[in-house]
Amino acid sequence: MSRFQRFPTASPRRILACRAAALFVAIAIVGLVLAACGRNVGELGRLVLISTIGSRFGLEDLALFMSPLLLTGSAVTVTRRMGLWNIGGEGQFYLGAVGAAGIGLFVHGPAILILPLMALAAMLCGMAWIALPALARAFAGVNEIITTLLLNFVASLLVYWLATGPWRDRVTGALASSGRLPVSIPDMWGVVHWGFPLGLLIVVGLAAVMSSTRWGYEVRISGASAGVARYAGMPVKLRIISAMLLSGALAALAGMFEVAGTVHRLQGGMADNFGYLGIVVAVLARGSCLAVIPAALLMALILDVGIVLQTQQVAATAVLAITGLVLLLVAIADECAHYRPVTPAIVRPARSAS
Amino acid sequence: MIGMLTALLSTAVLSGGVLALASVGEVMAERVGVTNLGVEGLVALGAATAVLVAISTGNPWLALLAATAVGALGGMVFACAAVLVQASQVLCGLSVTFLGIGLSAAIGHSVAGEPVPVGLAPVTVPVLSAIPIIGPAFFTQNLLIVPTYLLIPAACHWLLFHTRHGLNMRAVGENPAAADAAGIPVRAIRFWYVTLGAALAGAAGAYLSLAVIPSWSEGMVAGRGWIAVALVIFAGFRPFNAAAGGLLFGLISAIGFLGQARGWPIAAPVLNMLPYIGTLAFIMFPVVFRRVGRRGGEAPAALGEPYYRSVR
Repeated sequence: MSRFQRFPTASPRRILACRAAALFVAIAIVGLVLAACGRNVGELGRLVLISTIGSRFGLEDLALFMSPLLLTGSAVTVTRRMGLWNIGGEGQFYLGAVGAAGIGLFVHGPAILILPLMALAAMLCGMAWIALPALARAFAGVNEIITTLLLNFVASLLVYWLATGPWRDRVTGALASSGRLPVSIPDMWGVVHWGFPLGLLIVVGLAAVMSSTRWGYEVRISGASAGVARYAGMPVKLRIISAMLLSGALAALAGMFEVAGTVHRLQGGMADNFGYLGIVVAVLARGSCLAVIPAALLMALILDVGIVLQTQQVAATAVLAITGLVLLLVAIADECAHYRPVTPAIVRPARSAS
Repeated sequence: MIGMLTALLSTAVLSGGVLALASVGEVMAERVGVTNLGVEGLVALGAATAVLVAISTGNPWLALLAATAVGALGGMVFACAAVLVQASQVLCGLSVTFLGIGLSAAIGHSVAGEPVPVGLAPVTVPVLSAIPIIGPAFFTQNLLIVPTYLLIPAACHWLLFHTRHGLNMRAVGENPAAADAAGIPVRAIRFWYVTLGAALAGAAGAYLSLAVIPSWSEGMVAGRGWIAVALVIFAGFRPFNAAAGGLLFGLISAIGFLGQARGWPIAAPVLNMLPYIGTLAFIMFPVVFRRVGRRGGEAPAALGEPYYRSVR
């Protein structure tokens, strides 16, 4: 008789297999719940396929969903390499949108100059937004999960205030948004703007920085074992701060892409959970920068399912429940992948799990 | 002036109850070593359930019971993953938050914006309610504030610090290996207290949608669950401090409400930032100044760590 024992590491193949099973279970549960609610699951599945990979329109939608997810996902991945969580992607996304909209609304000039300026302002705003949690984490050990998260609500209210107050649209009188930005990221393919390939490029660049620069090496070592890093003379606190600042800048850039490429205005609620979903992307990518690309694709597919459900009079936010289910099952799958069957000859009785 | 103070304290007591209930529940979960980051979702789920049940049955107490049960059920889902399977507590908590927010939006879709016909009505206590300021604030509220601020924290405090079982609970949170060696059922204790904490989060949701804002709308929880999680740190992991912290943050949000009602020259969204900024300040300052401050109030040593019996 063989039995299961927990091993401290799990091979990527086992994890992939367990996750595939988890995804299958998630699809089965969603299908069953929808069927129990009296929906035609087969018809819904067909609609989902058409509205995602089955049509040009669907593919454009996927790419549009993917571009912010690539950036918010890599933002969380950077902090994961450091052993930290940046749950504040949503807030940094908003601040990026604020920075970009501020330049776009009030600085006039040719797009070729204004767009990089918008990106720069967005990244600076995002870094400023995460600076306090980063400093508190590095110097006082304050839990960064809660500090970054609380700032999301402040950022959301700040955007709401700007969009309905000082920056509100005075031309068309639209209530909850700023005026239309005069410049925008040019479209590349249908409604897909150049932010999408740029996002892919940034992810690849980040992977290179993480794997082959001294900074990336020190971040990875500090994340794996702060004690070892300190003993080797690495400035762990500085690495915590710089990794978190980079994370904030990446999430903010997603906000700039969204405001300058898709929405063209600053409006309340525009982050649309992209910051939170970046966490899911990073978890799916397991801390690997390149894996952010397929993870963002999967997340974009799930979001598209949400759009289809919305057309069927299911609340738009219900897609968060599907995301939560996938995340929960993936977390369970990752843990289960650590268990391997061992034959009793290898298990020493004294150390066996009861 | 007196009138303003009375109004301020009344609103504080009413809206702080949500935070008090949820954070006392989270204290119980964290004392046995489990961080449940799903509170936000569980509060949302409780709020939506309570509105649904209140509208269909017309009985607010049944609605409260149903919300508590749904919270407990959600807590069991979390505990199955995070305690029994020992999957990452952070991930399981976040996914319960996503699940709770998504599911509550789906089930509450049909009743969104509808007023609750039978909220938890205020009850005026004779004599005591005549005390200036404090009287109207504490003794003309709904009945739920008594268990919220007094009975539940007292029961939790007594359980944790004055019983043998509470000693076992704290041992599980501080050093599960030692507790296990002493014959304490680590997983069972973690499972049931996480469930209890989640049930209180569900009840907090019912309190929110029956007494504070008597209706359901998406996003009405607005981070209250996360503030409750932060409060646990601020409260030094003690039930009474958590309830008092709930009242303090109720007061901070009450200042915002008062400002809006009185037409202060500050925009409403800016006033609404107060509770979040206040929470940030309150969890940062004690940690920053801990070195000069008193001892105590540290997190349980094994908080957030899974316990594998085979790995010693």
